[in-house]
Amino acid sequence: MTATKNRLIAAGLAASLVAGMATVAAAGEIRVGITMRMISENGQKYGQMVMDEIDMINKAGGINGNTINATLLNDECKSDKGVANATKLIFQEKVHLLIGSTCSSVSLPIVDVTAKAEVPQIIPHSTNAKITQKGSAWVFRVPVSGRYYAGVNAKYVGENIGKKIAYLCAADAASQNDCEAMQSQMKSQHGVEPAYAAQVQEKEVDFRTHMQKIKTANVDGIMIAALAETMARALTQSYEAGIPASVRRIGSSSASNSPVPSIAGDAAKGVFFAAAYAAADRRPIARLFNEMVRKRYNINAPDHDFSQAYDLIRIVELALGRADLKLDSGSLAADRTAIRDAIASVENYQGLASGPISFCAAPTPQCRDGNRTAVLIAYTKGGENYVTEVLARVTMPADFGL
Amino acid sequence: MTVATAIVRPFTQAVGKLSAVHRLAPWLLVYLLLLPLPYVLSGLFNDYYVYLANRICIFILLTVGLNIVKGFCGQVTIGHVGLYAIGAVSSALVSLHLGAPFWVSFPIGVLVAGVAGIIVGLPSVRLEGAYLALATLGLGESVRIMIAVTPLFGSSTGLIGIPTPEIGGFVFDSFERYYYLLITATMIGIYLSFSILRSATGRAFMAIREDTIAASVHGINVPQYKLLAFVISALYAGAAGALFAHMPPGYIHHNNFTIIEMVTLLLMVVLGGIGHIWGGVIGAIIVTIIYDQTLEFYFYQPLLFGLSMVILVMFMPRGIGGVIDRYFVTRRFIGAREGKTDGAP
Repeated sequence: MTATKNRLIAAGLAASLVAGMATVAAAGEIRVGITMRMISENGQKYGQMVMDEIDMINKAGGINGNTINATLLNDECKSDKGVANATKLIFQEKVHLLIGSTCSSVSLPIVDVTAKAEVPQIIPHSTNAKITQKGSAWVFRVPVSGRYYAGVNAKYVGENIGKKIAYLCAADAASQNDCEAMQSQMKSQHGVEPAYAAQVQEKEVDFRTHMQKIKTANVDGIMIAALAETMARALTQSYEAGIPASVRRIGSSSASNSPVPSIAGDAAKGVFFAAAYAAADRRPIARLFNEMVRKRYNINAPDHDFSQAYDLIRIVELALGRADLKLDSGSLAADRTAIRDAIASVENYQGLASGPISFCAAPTPQCRDGNRTAVLIAYTKGGENYVTEVLARVTMPADFGL
Repeated sequence: MTVATAIVRPFTQAVGKLSAVHRLAPWLLVYLLLLPLPYVLSGLFNDYYVYLANRICIFILLTVGLNIVKGFCGQVTIGHVGLYAIGAVSSALVSLHLGAPFWVSFPIGVLVAGVAGIIVGLPSVRLEGAYLALATLGLGESVRIMIAVTPLFGSSTGLIGIPTPEIGGFVFDSFERYYYLLITATMIGIYLSFSILRSATGRAFMAIREDTIAASVHGINVPQYKLLAFVISALYAGAAGALFAHMPPGYIHHNNFTIIEMVTLLLMVVLGGIGHIWGGVIGAIIVTIIYDQTLEFYFYQPLLFGLSMVILVMFMPRGIGGVIDRYFVTRRFIGAREGKTDGAP
């Protein structure tokens, strides 16, 4: 009797496990999977913004009567966790579209996963040029590729600052890419080698030795390519080392992130960088966006990762509205293809980005790096209430840097 | 009869009968039973569970290896993940830059990790406890930093496009196919671990764990056996690393080998039970599944894992393996007492 009871308990447990693991697809539901770096304060806010915007689309009636069911997972900026998240979202949640990731080192392997599973992937923040150079027909990038940023920076630096540049490059994928591309562009556009170049840890805290060497090298500018907190520390220490303000500080794309001026304070003043969005943008849409971010997320001036997350959702909304979706149990593959084709058909999307975003069908970087316009921005005031100004806006040829 | 007894008794009886036929017979049977698992998982659930099974296999190899140095030999190490990284990067580099097939790059990766194991193990000759932990932690972190700043090792971008293994036209390019490679390596790894434990070497390891001076007095070359434990453990880590590197999508990055991964491994070993081979296996399975099931609660995950570690150390210091041990000891005691009672006049 007891043995029979035990077997029944075991069978019950197994059945409930099976029921819990299996995902039942609901009709009229567009499943979107998101994998992002949700470990930093800003990272969490980018993810929260994506979820909030999806929630608002649903509250406004969804897309063609269908609601979006979004699942957000944290990849901690680690490739194995990103691949695990993507695999889970694709095979278990059976998502129609994958959004992610924040970090280039996570997006790079996910491109292979989505290509093999034939799931459209749209990238919110990763800038590493290799992402779209893999030739996947399923990947789209909203941010400006690192190859464009370098061209814009090098042109401005060579013409306005000087050619004797020192480089401090952190070991994260985006910063490395920005640094290498800038050095390569300085060489090809102006024929100069770095006056000083050093690689530092992703979360390095002490740059004093490098700064002293840079000071003695008598350079025209210092490029600091690092993630926000690291960059802020390096900027502060550059002044502590006695390098004057006349030596211009050039930031990599993450200089746009609000922790840079917040942490660096006065040391952020004069730092310029290429980004995809300027909070100093005077367009009504930008002003409204700045106000919304200030109220919702308590950020004084949103950086380009906020604007790119917002633009991405608008592009997704546009594409999902255009796609002919069946959303039944047998149409998953066809729906995924329809969404991919709909994203590829997005042309001249005018949002918050520095320039229009256009995609096309060919699986090439020219077609899949949607935004080719970088805006050069400088901080005119640091601290929590930082202020920026736009120096220039440059649109690059589609095949630039390839 | 409890549920545990209902499950365990027929199993132990079957294993006993099979072992009588040949000592490898139960292993072969379990291996054969596990072969169709990818089809069962993808049929019942989906491909993600096959991927999860693959991850579990890699973690089992790592925990079983860690158990040899920590559980058998009693040496504190926090550098295991560094050896895992060395195995992964070495195999990937040989494959990517020399064009060598997996069957060449894999043993090279394992051997390089083994050699690195000697370096990681050297401090154990003179250091113990927290000092050894710090030394191994330093070495492990140094490996990660070296990978992060060296372009040849992938630096910030990581190593991309590491080829998947192939044998006679059969390419291990999907989760299902790669599972066969992993389950084979895992079964061999567990079997060898048991063989080591039951050998004179295993007994020497345990003697060192219990009392270094007493072991030395009994003629055991303590420094040599400590180093050997580190090397064997490193070979396991190297194998796990090489298998991880070649697993689709064939990408590794220095962020895969941080101190967080090391703490997760330690949690698996502590949960399973330090010094219990099956404990490490159970720990790897449970932690991977719990981690997966709590993915959406990422805000609370570090708290959950941290608290689990504290609670485990406080209330179940010998882990699940310890509980199982106690169960069998109690059963043997009851059996012996009942036998004595039955036989009494």
